[in-house]
Amino acid sequence: MAKKTRKPAGGQPPAAAAIAPAVPPVAAPREFFFLPDAEPEPVEAEELHELMKLWRHGRATRSLGQAISDGYVTVFTILMLGAMIISAVLSAQQGMADCTTGTCASSRLLLPTAVLLGCWAITLGLARLFGPVLVSAAEGSWLLDAPVDRRRLLSRRLVVPLVSAFVLPGLATGLVAGLTGMDWPAVGIWTLAAAAGSSALVALAAAQQAGERTWLTTLLKNLAGAAALAVIGLVVAVAADKVPAIALSGIDAARWVFLGVAVAALASGSFWLVLAVRRLDQLRRARLASGGALVSGMQGAMFALDFGLIRDILVERRAAAIGHVRPTRGRGLGLSALVWRDVERLRRNPKMFIGLAVSLFVPYAVDALRLSQLNPLISGLALVAALVPFLGGLRVLSRTGGLARGLPFKTSSLRTASMAVPAGVALLWALAAVPAFVGVAGSGADRSLSDAVIAALVTGAAGLLGGVRWVTAKKVDFGAPMVATQNGAVPPALIFNLLRGIDMVALICAPLILGWSAYLSAVLIVVAFVGLRGSFNAEDLRAEAAAAQRDLDSAKAERTKTKIPPPRR
Amino acid sequence: MARRTPVLKVTALKKAFGPVVIIDGFNLDVAAGEAVALTGRNGAGKSTVLRCLVGADRPDSGTIQVEGLAVSETNPQIRRDVAAVIDDLDFFPDLSVVEHLDLLARAHGVPDPDHAVDEILHEVQLVAQSGQLPPTLSSGERRRLALATAFVRPRKLLILDEPEQRLDVEGVAWLAERLVAERNRGLAIVMASHEPELVEKVATRVIRLGDRAQVEAEA
Repeated sequence: MAKKTRKPAGGQPPAAAAIAPAVPPVAAPREFFFLPDAEPEPVEAEELHELMKLWRHGRATRSLGQAISDGYVTVFTILMLGAMIISAVLSAQQGMADCTTGTCASSRLLLPTAVLLGCWAITLGLARLFGPVLVSAAEGSWLLDAPVDRRRLLSRRLVVPLVSAFVLPGLATGLVAGLTGMDWPAVGIWTLAAAAGSSALVALAAAQQAGERTWLTTLLKNLAGAAALAVIGLVVAVAADKVPAIALSGIDAARWVFLGVAVAALASGSFWLVLAVRRLDQLRRARLASGGALVSGMQGAMFALDFGLIRDILVERRAAAIGHVRPTRGRGLGLSALVWRDVERLRRNPKMFIGLAVSLFVPYAVDALRLSQLNPLISGLALVAALVPFLGGLRVLSRTGGLARGLPFKTSSLRTASMAVPAGVALLWALAAVPAFVGVAGSGADRSLSDAVIAALVTGAAGLLGGVRWVTAKKVDFGAPMVATQNGAVPPALIFNLLRGIDMVALICAPLILGWSAYLSAVLIVVAFVGLRGSFNAEDLRAEAAAAQRDLDSAKAERTKTKIPPPRR
Repeated sequence: MARRTPVLKVTALKKAFGPVVIIDGFNLDVAAGEAVALTGRNGAGKSTVLRCLVGADRPDSGTIQVEGLAVSETNPQIRRDVAAVIDDLDFFPDLSVVEHLDLLARAHGVPDPDHAVDEILHEVQLVAQSGQLPPTLSSGERRRLALATAFVRPRKLLILDEPEQRLDVEGVAWLAERLVAERNRGLAIVMASHEPELVEKVATRVIRLGDRAQVEAEA
């Protein structure tokens, strides 16, 4: 029967079909909904906000009290740390008051000033990066689409950056000022100058944001950063007796200067704030939402302590801002093409050398402070930070397999090639740092020339391998077995992510710091290099072993299938 | 008649995520000049199979061989033979479109890489975007660049996961013609697709995934 229906005969159709022809199915008429032809009612941003708040509260699974009770460890930690800091400030006040030397007076004046300038530079950098006015993706989609007063809505978004810029830099500068032994009025002046200055700069950045201009904030950020570095250099120079110590009376004069700075910052900040608020309704939604997207992306990365991902987000953003480059022709074939691209990167991103130059200042500063024994460790860590931008190619090749899969080389060869140019940079850095390891900045003759060369090379290698370890960090696997902690189950990689790079530098430099043979450091460098270039990639080895086992099993199964039966009688 | 040696040989492939078995007992032989299209509803396991084929995911059991060599993502010979465009393709944020293609061509030792890059760039219509950095490309342009990275280098097996995604109508037509030309030149192709027209034009065999029994039909 079924066969008949599937293959109908070529002759006449069955009689029943002729009597009742198939009726084509009639589609049900579609109905469409249209909005009524009436003017929409005016909407208040507050109402929408309340509605969003209601939804969010509806989804909350714990009350604030429960959350605080669960996070008692955190609360106690904060209280204890706060108490320790206050105690440290008070004892520093008592201790430093007795110090009347020129070096103490200089540090008392210069260190809080360096922190103040550094806070200004960081504030401007962050303000430019995030907005400073921003909205979340949800707010961008729902609130900004509604016919609401955008200026009124965004004024509230400006409050958080302004208050943060006032409180955090103020606290940091006040803390350092207190620790250096400044008297309380001076602490207040430096704190006010840092807080008011940072807030004024955020207001300036907001005014510039609406005008889609960045040149002024960039210029001020660079100036503040350079000034902060210069002041730190001055602190080191004074400590090393390279520059005469500033007289104690310097602080009295400086406090009036900084009081003036604070007043000027308050006045200019008010002006910029009024201008920024006036321009708020000109802000484009895309610009506002991009800051929010950046915040949420970085929040996600921070929860996993994935600092590499945070950097990736920033690098992508910078590339998107640059947009277009003048393409250059490659050179060589095979791995040399990869190395040549890294050379091209140096030419394309000369800014990387600024960080390298700053890191080169570290061994000299450490030597000037007569901490030559710790010089390899401290300078190595500075070099890690400076070399990370040079390892951008390696980062991309190791974060996902897609691009590496397209290149016909072993993982170890790829990584070695990607390390070649940064290794050259690290070598140059080490050679330039040799005088610091000899001891030219400090008391002199800390080490013989040959020992200094070895120490500098070991430090350079430690910095390079620390950087490589940092950029090749894998994402935290939340599916892996976890470690029980006071704050719940934590994947071990989350803890190790904090130490990545630092561990490598500490390990390689340990023999130098402990006064053991430098050959031990050399051995550690070789072992670390072999491990980091992926020669013994555990995943690869497991995959190869599994593949070999599978092949063996298949071969066995095949043999069993094709076994010749014994002859029968 | 002697059977052609398969470029790709998959035997009893099984992949599960936890208790959910995505694919089980999957067998596939693809010879040179053959194009196999994997079709099926979302979640049927097409991308999982392709990820296993390129070595991005490890199967729970079964074997995958390319030119008689067990697939391993890190094996340079496999990297040389298999060109893949799947969902995990990454780009250097500081290298332009043309520099990516140049790097790949040179890394694979393509003779006269400049000429090869120029040709491919024209073909994928990214000449105007040649100096652009990947984060500024539209999703369609990124897809074109991804496809270009597969065509600018030597290959024996091409693995594509929904290559028609984000391409405009002309782009899909170009892709179909390109893949037919690749197949006719003796390349083995395995692709997953939701585009019936592309499958019809390119595939010599269609495998529908998702049903317990694989329905196989000659196109």
